Amino acid sequence: MSLLRANRLSKTFGSVRAVDGVSFEVREGEIYGLLGPNGAGKTTSLSMICGLLKPDAGEVTIQGQGFWSDPLRARRLMGVVPQDIALYEDLSGRENLEFWGRMAGLTARAATARAGELLEALALTDRARDALKTYSGGMKRRVNLGCALLHRPRLLLLDEPTVGIDIQARMTILEFIRQLTRDGAGVLYTTHYLEEAETLCDRIGIIDHGVILAEGTLPELQRRLGENQLFALEGGFADTTPESWPGFAEQFRVLQRSDQQLLVAALKTRDPAEGLKALLALPVPIRNVTLKRPTLNEVFLQLTGRELRE
Amino acid sequence: MNAILQIARNDLRLFLRERTSWIWLVVLPLGFVYFMGFAARGPGGPVTPTVEVRLANHDDGFLGRLVLEAMGEQGLHVVPPENAEAKRGITIPAGFTDRVLATQRVDLEFFKVGEDTDPAAAMVELRLVRALIVVNSLLIEHAIATGGAPPTEEALRGLLRRENPVTLRSSFAGRKPMPVGFSLSLPGNLVMYLLLNLMVFGGASVAAERRNGVMRRLMTQPVRGAELVMGKVCGLIALGLVQVGIFLLIGQFLLGVNIRDHWFAILVTLAIYVWVAASLGVLAGSVIKAEEKVIGVCLLVSLPMAALGGCWWPLEVASPALQSVALAFPTGWAMAALHQLITFGSGFAGAREEIAVLALFGLAANLAAARWFRG
Repeated sequence: MSLLRANRLSKTFGSVRAVDGVSFEVREGEIYGLLGPNGAGKTTSLSMICGLLKPDAGEVTIQGQGFWSDPLRARRLMGVVPQDIALYEDLSGRENLEFWGRMAGLTARAATARAGELLEALALTDRARDALKTYSGGMKRRVNLGCALLHRPRLLLLDEPTVGIDIQARMTILEFIRQLTRDGAGVLYTTHYLEEAETLCDRIGIIDHGVILAEGTLPELQRRLGENQLFALEGGFADTTPESWPGFAEQFRVLQRSDQQLLVAALKTRDPAEGLKALLALPVPIRNVTLKRPTLNEVFLQLTGRELRE
Repeated sequence: MNAILQIARNDLRLFLRERTSWIWLVVLPLGFVYFMGFAARGPGGPVTPTVEVRLANHDDGFLGRLVLEAMGEQGLHVVPPENAEAKRGITIPAGFTDRVLATQRVDLEFFKVGEDTDPAAAMVELRLVRALIVVNSLLIEHAIATGGAPPTEEALRGLLRRENPVTLRSSFAGRKPMPVGFSLSLPGNLVMYLLLNLMVFGGASVAAERRNGVMRRLMTQPVRGAELVMGKVCGLIALGLVQVGIFLLIGQFLLGVNIRDHWFAILVTLAIYVWVAASLGVLAGSVIKAEEKVIGVCLLVSLPMAALGGCWWPLEVASPALQSVALAFPTGWAMAALHQLITFGSGFAGAREEIAVLALFGLAANLAAARWFRG
């Protein structure tokens, strides 16, 4: 069942079209990743979905009902984790959790009980009474996440929730998010970390310049690049133009090039051995050819013409 | 409603946790109350200052002691004849009592030391005369009452202690007295610091929450925009009432300002004024983006409003033009109401107009804060 449907959302700031006709859907028990570089339109899209911005065009539907027809109902169904650590630094972790629980509509008793559960689940019980300003970055990120979960939202909107923290803290948070979907919650996860999108998300939408360029599961996206056939060629390519090589342009597409290496994708499904044979027959000295499975970075590279580095 | 209370409670908790809050809420304002109250203290109520007079009493009878007592009643403090401070003196001759009882004339010797022109010293002569009139009156009254029987010490003291059949009460006529001392400095500083604190704390906290993303997060909660604004306003109102409570208690019990007589009307006036200041604070935080600018602007706005509103000096000493300018600010109306209630002793009826105007200021500021609130 669809929890969230964004339908042709658009938003313009002055002369800048930040989001241009973005559509996607988040279902129950699913993690949908919105992957793109900084400034791609991820946060603007998320802001329209949670009601911080009104779209210039398009519509947001939460559990089948338009967001703006009943914003309070929609907000009760969702939990939002902002990119910033938007918490009270002078309050303790427990006090922050309890406050945001009360804001989400819980009674005092329910907020206290739920805060205790979350502190334990997020491994923060030992520091629960300490002021947030004494926490490490990773601990603050965990509280930041927990504050959106007090009322057990059906839809969770996470805006780059692991920015600026170490790998171990990131893994803890990602594992926690995976557990949430097992209870049926749907997650919209914006990130510019490829690895997170690859390992965490069930489906991924690649966004750049306010437009969704491709969408699908990781294998679906990978298939867009020559059915899992990418060839890394090592040799001297400083003054060469691969597209001018006889038969190359009909069979391959260059994804990335340097003086010493070419990364090419096969255009059609074929036996990898045939691809290797065709590459080795090219009129250039090639020292080594490696067959590799396309990564999300390479998908992004193919779609946008630039890399998305972590 | 629950959201409003939660936001207000949380903001109050955050304000009161800051140690600097207490400095601005209590320590600094009360320091100014004391300093300004002490500097601007008036003459106070009508009192008889005590002045010193040299006395050489050579009499060993009871009438000499009675003269001394009558001099004390007139505010004269008797010192030994060798005292250099006293500039006037009197000598009671030996055998004074005996000669009076024998109905013989006795002269008391009055003398001056140097040519002192101190008005207080000059008052000694008048008081001495009044003391001697008292003693003579007692003797005459006793003689009339007893048909000329010799007076006894007990009888004369009984007459001296008797309540006077005629007393004089004095009060201010014409215009009301000018507020002075703590009756001016307590409400003046309270009105000024309420405005300053609530504008600075309110404006800075709204700006800070907007900067660190807390405000955006609040706006993703199932809370209406109006509830968010009112939560912020109510948090500041609660903070202001904490300051009001502390000031009124200290004013009543430590500084002797008359709060008790009209405490409820004073509280209502200040609560409405706090609402005005809190709304202005939220408004400032909404229309000014950066925290540091908010603080600067709030100081620049609140201090002139305090001065022009009569928080620093009584408006009674200002020109009519400045008195009219004060009516443009909530501080002017708040001070006018508080003077009616504290200094002039009026009840609700006397401050009704001022309280109503303050409420209009509150409504306008609150609507403006809601209209321009920015998360």
